[in-house]
Amino acid sequence: MAETLQNLLLGFSTALTLSNLFYAFAGCLIGTMVGVLPGVGPLAGISLLLPTTFGLNPTAGLILLCGVYYGAMYGGSTTSILMRIPGEAASVMTCIDGYAMAQKGRAGPALSIAAIGSYAAGTLSVVGLMFMAPPLARAALSFGPPEYFSLLVLGLLVLGYMTGGSIVKNMAMILLGLLFGMIGIDHMTGYFRFSYGVVALGDGIGVVPVAVGLFGIAEILATAGNPVRPEVMKPKLKDLLPSRQEFRDSLLPIGRGTVLGFLIGIIPGSAHIISTFVAYAVERRVSRHPEKFGKGTIEGVAGPESANNAASCGALVPMLALGVPTGPIPAVLLAALMVHGITPGPLFIKEQPQIFWGLIASMYVGNVVLLLLNLPLVGIFVNFLRIPYRVLYPTILMFCVVGVYAVNSSFVDVGIMSVMGLLGYILRKFDFETAPIVLGVVLASIFEMSLRQSLAMSNGKYSIFFQRPISAVFLAGALILLVIALLPLIRKGIDYGWRRELTEAEKGK
Amino acid sequence: MNKSRVLLAGIIFVGIFGFVSGGFAADLYPSRPLSMVVPFPPGGVADLTARPLAVSLEPHLKQPVAVVNKPGAGGAVGMQFAAVSKPDGYTVLCALSSISVMPEVDSLFGRPQTYKTTDFVPIALLNADPTVLVVRKEAPWNSVADLVADAKKRPNEIKYSSSGVYGTLHVAMAMFTHAAGIQMRHIPTAGGGPALTALLGGHVDAFAVGPSVVASQLKAGTVKVLACWGAKRLASLPNIPTFIELGYPEVEFYIWAGLFAPKATPPEVVKILREATKKAANSAEFKTAMDNLNTPVYYLDGPDFQQFWDKDAARLIKAIRAIGKVQ
Repeated sequence: MAETLQNLLLGFSTALTLSNLFYAFAGCLIGTMVGVLPGVGPLAGISLLLPTTFGLNPTAGLILLCGVYYGAMYGGSTTSILMRIPGEAASVMTCIDGYAMAQKGRAGPALSIAAIGSYAAGTLSVVGLMFMAPPLARAALSFGPPEYFSLLVLGLLVLGYMTGGSIVKNMAMILLGLLFGMIGIDHMTGYFRFSYGVVALGDGIGVVPVAVGLFGIAEILATAGNPVRPEVMKPKLKDLLPSRQEFRDSLLPIGRGTVLGFLIGIIPGSAHIISTFVAYAVERRVSRHPEKFGKGTIEGVAGPESANNAASCGALVPMLALGVPTGPIPAVLLAALMVHGITPGPLFIKEQPQIFWGLIASMYVGNVVLLLLNLPLVGIFVNFLRIPYRVLYPTILMFCVVGVYAVNSSFVDVGIMSVMGLLGYILRKFDFETAPIVLGVVLASIFEMSLRQSLAMSNGKYSIFFQRPISAVFLAGALILLVIALLPLIRKGIDYGWRRELTEAEKGK
Repeated sequence: MNKSRVLLAGIIFVGIFGFVSGGFAADLYPSRPLSMVVPFPPGGVADLTARPLAVSLEPHLKQPVAVVNKPGAGGAVGMQFAAVSKPDGYTVLCALSSISVMPEVDSLFGRPQTYKTTDFVPIALLNADPTVLVVRKEAPWNSVADLVADAKKRPNEIKYSSSGVYGTLHVAMAMFTHAAGIQMRHIPTAGGGPALTALLGGHVDAFAVGPSVVASQLKAGTVKVLACWGAKRLASLPNIPTFIELGYPEVEFYIWAGLFAPKATPPEVVKILREATKKAANSAEFKTAMDNLNTPVYYLDGPDFQQFWDKDAARLIKAIRAIGKVQ
């Protein structure tokens, strides 16, 4: 403990030098912009900035890039709440209740809570990173393909059970997303699937064009199709800050979102996106008024927004503690260090304390900077809603196209975005929730890969999922959930179902 | 005396001519910025080689060189893009050894080749690191002989991870198992990082990888290195034998990065590119950048690189055919 504090002191002495402070601020500012722009997410932002860090010293470079990373998680919520356009893929869930709040004139509180939740989650998970990185990282490594597969089975069942609306429609959307995720090279055999000779489809369709298309483009299309010109909302100053009640309602969701996000973030993969879906589902389950979700409830913003910030911090754990890049973003950060001749490994924290602790301290500083940066911005951002739609929406459309193109310099991605926009528009007309499609696209490749890797490991024996303890526990949980869900069907009249109450509450209102 | 005067006159003549013609003709290559296509996302070997190279090329070409990442389909998207780009010397490609693999895999599956290796003319080889055979420190084997003996006792039981099917790390390993006449079970993952994660987590027993990736793990003692795929031992791992020493003369594999131009690029433009690259690759700043990555510069000029490439491609194609279609 005393040693940790001493190290932290060393860290702050590194982070609080004028130049490092500047890089933390610059990183946070760029990150916020990257997050606000639709399409361009943290990965694209960090990749574009990577070359500029070659001339810096390694600590400054890492502080700058990490600032972009968690800054993007703050900024991503802005367009989600104001315009139902996810600034980056991890903000998809925020679109649902955040935008509904904005339509009720509560955009200010939604934005403020998103910033405050992100701050709390960011700061708390740095504490986790500081004290528990090495043991957590080792635990994460024991998560092999079978564990991953069983976790996803459980996760999908939980999501299907807990999300509202028609369960059949939700499942149909998840399946559609999973099918979209099948496009591309089969990683186990090298076959091209459903690519119809388009080489660019070899890597499958990315999450970014799908998310921006289904939400952003579809929203723009839907607005254009409105016969009545939507009323421009003019928020008053007192509406900018959350009410006492909204504060109280957000407290627990922020806490739960932080813990969930951090733990899910450590697991290898695109975890920060998954963490937002899980956080939203959990908030809905524990809420006393689940029927209000989707219609603008603050918990639906606080939970996912805290989760994605905590997850982005969690994802750094295996990279910093063991030198294992578990996702694309840590891999780019690792490359940034390697350019300076530093390869994080199991000895990184011991050998390069000024870099590790400097980074930790800079993350504390960065989160404060982001809070101070974002709260005043709420007032400015909310004013965007005053801009007439005929000016605002074409501008956003342009940013969507440019942002999606910039990620891979690919026109095919812009095409995918357009098709998804049309699909999203049609599905909305038929009252389908489109968020599960995004989830399906994110999960498809991980789901399939982990199943087939597991079977390759066991030489085709399905028993591998029951023999490994962690995996067996997840599957048992999934089975219990299935039984609970099916019992009312078998024994008619006995109401076990939380879902039934929910459905009735939704009907009743 | 006389010679130098002729030279001086020549320089003045070229100078005036260049000055006059420079105004309306853009034929003096290079007269505008170049783009260097990297068919992989930022942060990988190709990207980290291309960026310092681009910086070192600028003073010699007197034009900015922009690195453009065109990732997708294991590099096929960017390589196809470069293959069909205008052969005017303003688009060059920084690619890895997988450039030889893709067309062969395409033919294996009976689909049209996305590009051909003959679509490119080699400018220079920049680095070539042999892969090393890595096992966990808990593994019972201390030599390749131990591993081979064990694998013969229980065929298809020992598992190895790779960066993906027909990926660099898969081909290297397949070359070895084929030469040793053993069967090991292949667990493909989504890249070099996940392949390392699978080994460290104990989900697989071995993998082949570039020495720079495991340097820090080796230092911390979490892994052991059994052998190296190079023609001679690595300077950084002098105690590790090569497969050739161990009696597998055909097992030789390198992860290399080279610079290419589209086939129809005019020879005089290729010559300018080759000369500039020679100076850039041997500059101190490029060497330092590569040393920082634990990937020392290994420079070969165009024709030498072509020979190296032909030999390397022949080995890779043989390995791909030995793997065959994965069912």
